[in-house]
Amino acid sequence: MIKEFLKGIVKENPTFVLALGLCPTLAVSISVINGIGMGIAATFVLIGSNIIIALIKNSIPERVRIPCYIVVIATFVTITELTMKAYSPALDRALGIYVPLIVVNCIVLGRAEAFASKNSVMKSLLDGIGMGVGFTLALILISVIREFFGAGRILGLNIVKGFEPAFVLGMPSGALLVIGLLLGFFNLLKERKK
Amino acid sequence: MSEPFFNKNSLLVSTSPHIHTDESVRKIMWMVIASLIPAGIAGIAVFGKAALWTIMIGVASAVITEWALQLLTKRKVCISDGSALLTGLLLSFNLPANVPFWIPIVGSFFAVAIGKHVFGGLGQNIFNPALVGRVFLLASWPKYLTAFTRPLEFDAVTTATPLALLKEGKMIDAISYLDLFLGKRGGCIGEVCIAALLLGALFLLWRGYISLHIPLSFVATVGVFTYIFAGKQGLFGGDWLFHILSGGLILGAFFMATDYVTSPLTRKGHIIFGVCCGLLTAVIRLWGGYPEGVSYAILMMNSATPLIDRYTKTRIYGSKGKN
Amino acid sequence: MNIAAFLTIFISAVFINNVILSRFLGLCSFIAISKQTRPALAMSLAVMFVTTMSSIITWFIYRFLLIPFNMTYLRTISFILVIATFVQFVEMVIRKIAPPMYRFFGIYLPLITVNCAVLGVAVLNSDMFFIKNKAVAGSFIYSAFQGVCVGLGYTLAMLLMSAIRERLELCDVPKPVKDFPLGFIIASIMSLGFMGFNGFRF
Repeated sequence: MIKEFLKGIVKENPTFVLALGLCPTLAVSISVINGIGMGIAATFVLIGSNIIIALIKNSIPERVRIPCYIVVIATFVTITELTMKAYSPALDRALGIYVPLIVVNCIVLGRAEAFASKNSVMKSLLDGIGMGVGFTLALILISVIREFFGAGRILGLNIVKGFEPAFVLGMPSGALLVIGLLLGFFNLLKERKK
Repeated sequence: MSEPFFNKNSLLVSTSPHIHTDESVRKIMWMVIASLIPAGIAGIAVFGKAALWTIMIGVASAVITEWALQLLTKRKVCISDGSALLTGLLLSFNLPANVPFWIPIVGSFFAVAIGKHVFGGLGQNIFNPALVGRVFLLASWPKYLTAFTRPLEFDAVTTATPLALLKEGKMIDAISYLDLFLGKRGGCIGEVCIAALLLGALFLLWRGYISLHIPLSFVATVGVFTYIFAGKQGLFGGDWLFHILSGGLILGAFFMATDYVTSPLTRKGHIIFGVCCGLLTAVIRLWGGYPEGVSYAILMMNSATPLIDRYTKTRIYGSKGKN
Repeated sequence: MNIAAFLTIFISAVFINNVILSRFLGLCSFIAISKQTRPALAMSLAVMFVTTMSSIITWFIYRFLLIPFNMTYLRTISFILVIATFVQFVEMVIRKIAPPMYRFFGIYLPLITVNCAVLGVAVLNSDMFFIKNKAVAGSFIYSAFQGVCVGLGYTLAMLLMSAIRERLELCDVPKPVKDFPLGFIIASIMSLGFMGFNGFRF
């Protein structure tokens, strides 16, 4: 059981291993605050949609399953969006269009299709939490690097320690580079462990 | 057993990377390095001691990076094949003379580590490492990479390059073709003195280390395109000679686009490569946001080289036929 | 309707604002499917088909449903539902005519639904070819054409990437960076190169 939760963090990390949800990752990981905020929002949607889809999976005709998943996901995204607008408008403004774009975050639909439609509610819940946590951790890791080396800040605080920040890290090219190098580094650690 | 590295138009039975002897790789690298010496001397003459420092730091950083990486990964240390030195040299040639000392250090490190060794080392990189380094630097620290000093005045007075002036629509009457040819203009260390570059290029052509297809098609395309579209009133009448002599075109066309590993294998591929590089360069110069497009054009075409090879290479002996 | 407009749309969608390499939409499938040329080409054709058809259908919905009834705020939801239905249809077709390819694509075929490129071009069309909720002249044909061109741009990026990765298969790449890490790094350098198109003005 615990395995369903843990796999989303390392073995099947949505960003590094499954290469899902890259579009928002590139854009949102410019600052750590945005990364954390997006991670939490996406996790909520993941959990909600995974549970519901696992519950109703047997009543959805196979031919129209994807539009049905979309409706479920969109509902949770709207809930998230409205909640965020009400309780943390600053974050909502920071994340901008990427909150409604959680609807097209490959991770959410991907898990609905690959897992929640085929597994029990309990397992789907754990899968949702695991994937969400994995996504959030990936976002935090990437955005710490990008914000520090690319803008000399962390969490909006200036800590420029006498080095010139490399602007390329604020661009998608820099994001892709950071993800690639991190992934290579993780693989290296895995090799060493063997 | 193994083909001489430069004898590419003879019968090829494999695709790049070829099996080649260490001897021939080393020889070519050092020949190319030698052919760049005139341009280096000219750059130092035009921009002073700062240029010399930048070149030395760039080269040292590249060689040390390669040596350290090869030690760490327990691969054979082969810095004496000259390719890292060449990368460092070319990267420095693409920098303004007065950059802070850490720029060539970081740039060369990135060029050698990411542009070359991440792909597995010599012969396996897809992109020209020196250009990877330069574009990385340009994107990361634009203000240092676009601060040029006046030629022949060694007190760091800033000036704009001819192409930058053109992009802003300013008049460029003060610069004659001779100035451009000899290097009396703002620009990167190795790109300004066309005379010195051509000297080196002629040497390489004469000895057969590079062929004329890529550089000629590259430069000719830029010339033709700018003649047609860069005119002040409507079509035709563009100052093609100015465009050919400005910016990094000669340096890029003869010394970077011709890199064996990152350009196509066949003659037809060379021409496609050269023409497309020329088109991209001219289009960026005329209508893009940047004053110069040579680095971007070559990098873009590097990414197309495997595709070009796939559709123009001669039938592999013994293969089953077109996929 | 003039040639210049079509030429602009084509050059912009395929090169200057390439959907993957400049707008960074559709990356998930770009990194995951581009290891070999044939599946990459197949995926590209599927995506091009979806972008074209959904450009057409969403145009009608926008023009005759959302605008007259003042429901343009429902744009995202309605567009995505159209796309989802279409992808479902494409999936059924591929399953029938090429089962091995269907199995190979796995999760990434239904993921065309949430391929940012597809939703992106539909939204782009409604932004570009409707001014103050009125369709500009030739709006329909421009939208459809842009759908095709975005698909072509996607195909170009996929072809470039898959040729590169096929060639690297023959090379002795360091093990930790094999496959995905190198794919990301290649994408990073490609996007550095395509930055040359920034700031374009005709």
